[in-house]
Amino acid sequence: MAGIYVHIPFCKSKCRYCDFASFPDKITFAESYMACVYREMSMRKEELKDYTFNTLYIGGGTPSVVDESYIAMLVAAAKKNFNLTKDAEITIEINPGTVSAGKIDMYSKCGINRYSVGLQTAIDSQLREIGRIHTLNEFVTCAKLLMGKNFSVDVMIGLKDQTVDDIIKTIEVAAAFGASHISMYALTPEDGTPIYTDYLNGELPDSDEVAQMYEAGVKKLKELGFDRYEVSNFAKKGKESRHNMNYWNRGEYIGFGVAASSCINNIRFTNTFDLDEYFKCILSGHLAVIDREDVDIEGQKEEFIMLALRTSKGLDLDEYERLFGAKFQEEFAAEIQKMREYVEVNGNFLRIKDEYLFVQNTIIIEFLNK
Amino acid sequence: MGNKQNIRNFCIIAHIDHGKSTLADRLMECTGQVSERDMEAQLLDSMDIERERGITIKLAPVRMFYKADDGQEYELNLIDTPGHVDFTYEVSRSLAACEGAILIVDASQGVEAQTLANVYLALENNLEILPVINKIDLPSARPDEAKKEIEEVIGLDASYAPLVSAKEGINIREILEDVVKYFPAPQGDESAPLKALIFDSYYDNYKGVILFVRIKDGTVKPGDRIKTFRSDKVYEVVETGTFNPALLPKSSLAAGEVGYIAASIKSIQDVAVGDTVTNAENPAPEPLPGYKKVQSVVFCGIYPLDGSKFNDLKDAILKLQLNDASLIFEPDSSVALGFGFRCGFLGLLHMEIIQERIEREFGLDIITTAPSVSYKVVKTDGETIFVDNPSHLPPVSEIEHMEEPIVKADIYSPPDYLGQIMDLCREKRGTFLQMTYLDKSRVQLEYNLPLNEIIFDFFDQIKSRTRGYASFDYEIIGYQRSKLVKMDILLNGDVCDALSIIVHEDSAYPRGRMLCENLKEAIPRQLFEIPVQAAIGGKIIARETVKAMRKDVLAKCYGGDITRKKKLLEKQKEGKKRMRQIGNVEVPSEIFMQILKTNKD
Repeated sequence: MAGIYVHIPFCKSKCRYCDFASFPDKITFAESYMACVYREMSMRKEELKDYTFNTLYIGGGTPSVVDESYIAMLVAAAKKNFNLTKDAEITIEINPGTVSAGKIDMYSKCGINRYSVGLQTAIDSQLREIGRIHTLNEFVTCAKLLMGKNFSVDVMIGLKDQTVDDIIKTIEVAAAFGASHISMYALTPEDGTPIYTDYLNGELPDSDEVAQMYEAGVKKLKELGFDRYEVSNFAKKGKESRHNMNYWNRGEYIGFGVAASSCINNIRFTNTFDLDEYFKCILSGHLAVIDREDVDIEGQKEEFIMLALRTSKGLDLDEYERLFGAKFQEEFAAEIQKMREYVEVNGNFLRIKDEYLFVQNTIIIEFLNK
Repeated sequence: MGNKQNIRNFCIIAHIDHGKSTLADRLMECTGQVSERDMEAQLLDSMDIERERGITIKLAPVRMFYKADDGQEYELNLIDTPGHVDFTYEVSRSLAACEGAILIVDASQGVEAQTLANVYLALENNLEILPVINKIDLPSARPDEAKKEIEEVIGLDASYAPLVSAKEGINIREILEDVVKYFPAPQGDESAPLKALIFDSYYDNYKGVILFVRIKDGTVKPGDRIKTFRSDKVYEVVETGTFNPALLPKSSLAAGEVGYIAASIKSIQDVAVGDTVTNAENPAPEPLPGYKKVQSVVFCGIYPLDGSKFNDLKDAILKLQLNDASLIFEPDSSVALGFGFRCGFLGLLHMEIIQERIEREFGLDIITTAPSVSYKVVKTDGETIFVDNPSHLPPVSEIEHMEEPIVKADIYSPPDYLGQIMDLCREKRGTFLQMTYLDKSRVQLEYNLPLNEIIFDFFDQIKSRTRGYASFDYEIIGYQRSKLVKMDILLNGDVCDALSIIVHEDSAYPRGRMLCENLKEAIPRQLFEIPVQAAIGGKIIARETVKAMRKDVLAKCYGGDITRKKKLLEKQKEGKKRMRQIGNVEVPSEIFMQILKTNKD
């Protein structure tokens, strides 16, 4: 089973932490862009005819800023070109400030069955601070529209002036309005984004404070019935994101649109980040891939390990042996011994112990680059 | 040529920064050795480190031809010398190959401590000295006072000293005329058996060991069979030549000349600087007098970061020693660091230079332990031993008493900073000897100071407390009984032998506290809490804690991000390779130098 990702590079205004491909001033190109994406899909049709896909994820940017009819056509195009299973998980990222009852209705009619809502924080002053266009009230309106539907909420930690209580409140709001899934991320101040300046000036919480927020958040989520299945992802039973699990299982996926990445047959490739170049390529009948990496067996192992150890379940030892023809516990006997305080074997899985999941890099790198 | 009467062998001695390398460059330019256009600044300082730091470490000889006012052409061999206090040994090597020395005195700063030390060395070697007043272009130049100082302090007649500016190229020819006029031509008998003084050497990958020699008697040419006095091995000369300053082959070298010999010498231990080369078939009866044997004063351990690179490190140190006889070493091992070498140096700068050269010229990553001096330990059984490695100190119960090396330090400073200097010397356990006003603006302070305080941070302190105005020079005068203790550092409860130091009892507490604080800053947070403790004889005197790491995670790790995140993790893993595992604690390789830091930056 494989996944499909479609990138919608438009938004109303750029958030201060955002370093994704998203162009607030180019929304007028949305129609042409969507036409190109449909075309790109048809260009890949033949190559992927033997694949079965069980997830479709429409991310951005803010996919909900473009006209909902384009989204409906997009889902239809995916279904037309690829073998998308009947029960496929079809997710769209939405921003609370950009939805209406009509929009949600159209999404749901075209087959979208999962929503990812970018709440980030329930504190309005913090929303303004990071450059989000919505308010808590708008989230409430949006959540009411989604009532009875399967939706996830994004929560950020490590924001300027944020407290542990703010995080608890945000989680409680999300849960109270019916979220079945919560993603709780630490803000990463990327060089080149406006928020990086705040970071350089020491205005953001330090790593100990962020860890404290994280731990408090994990505890609250657990109380509310959200199980951690990946370091940043929490779900009610059975509501895990299938699309994201595919990434962490090192599954195959195809990406469409600007800056979209793919991993098919152990080849990773990425589309251009430049909107004009994307148009030029697709309109002249070419794919828009700018970067291609054949992942060799060692690279595959590394990816498998670094991704699997992010999850609560951990690394599937049988799967490792099936993929690489070697027993993980023999190949990494010395590293497992060295990390014995921090990892454990649970059935067929080797996992990072709960209390060390938030310091996983230090543990994971022991298993890389042998 | 071939006429000894027209050869002049000389060197330049000067205080650091007084313009020696610049003057050497000007002399070469003036004799047409290099055109101004081709000239890279400071030709003789060929090592990167030398150019970067603006200092000369290695001797770099050069031959020039000069048509003097008397109508004759002269061969001038210039042997550059280092100016720093650590390199007195190198200076004495080059002096032994010369008949004359140009003494550069800065027109604004006058005679400095180091100038004096080198002048005395030159006088010991019976060299003719030509004083030159440099930097006369500076607004602060006071050439008459500089001359007066030369006459009063050194006792040389400075009335005929040329007033020059090496930087601006003023009066350079006057120096060359004086060199020809005042420096004697070399003595020596061309028909006598060969006697050549090795004043330097280095290893060339194609030609083997290259010997830098001053021919005192006889001649040498390719095809000759030669040997040295210290070894019976005979070598056939492959090439002889002079310095351009690059190697320039010449059919033979005769008495009075300075040049090089290549003889396919493979083993770098067989030829020592200071030894005499002679003809194997017609040997000279006795060698030339050697140099004064050098004394290492600062010691440290050098270990490969990657334990498997021990042999590479050994090769590197052997090759450096060939080029720098003042470097001594012996194999050593440490519980924390594995196999490595204990090395002895002439001083702290020398130590730093060697460390940098190992890393740069041989591409090796090394760990160096904190510098130490050599302590005299009198044991209860009456035996006296010398210990320069704190971890080799016998148990306290076997020590009757300990003595530490003491230096006599001459500090020169404007009177404004006397208070600061005296405070510093008091903090450093100094004993005041005397104070002399050299003139209105310069005072000489004499102190006895423990060497282990000097190697700690004395130099930095004196420069910062006097805004760089003071300079100092020191010589070891002997050992003095002292209350010394060994201080151990425990990382996560285990003693790390490579971090042990020997300190005076009175400074143990503050040093222990400071060291723990510095280590706490330097050790990155790990998955567990790490106590950092200082202890004397099992008693903990200071403690800091490196808190456990709480966040180390890549945020969102989805599709497109995977390649980038993988690279981030690989980079993190690379960083780890610069770390050394001690027990279960990972420490950065620079940590052993934390001991030298006085306060947190």
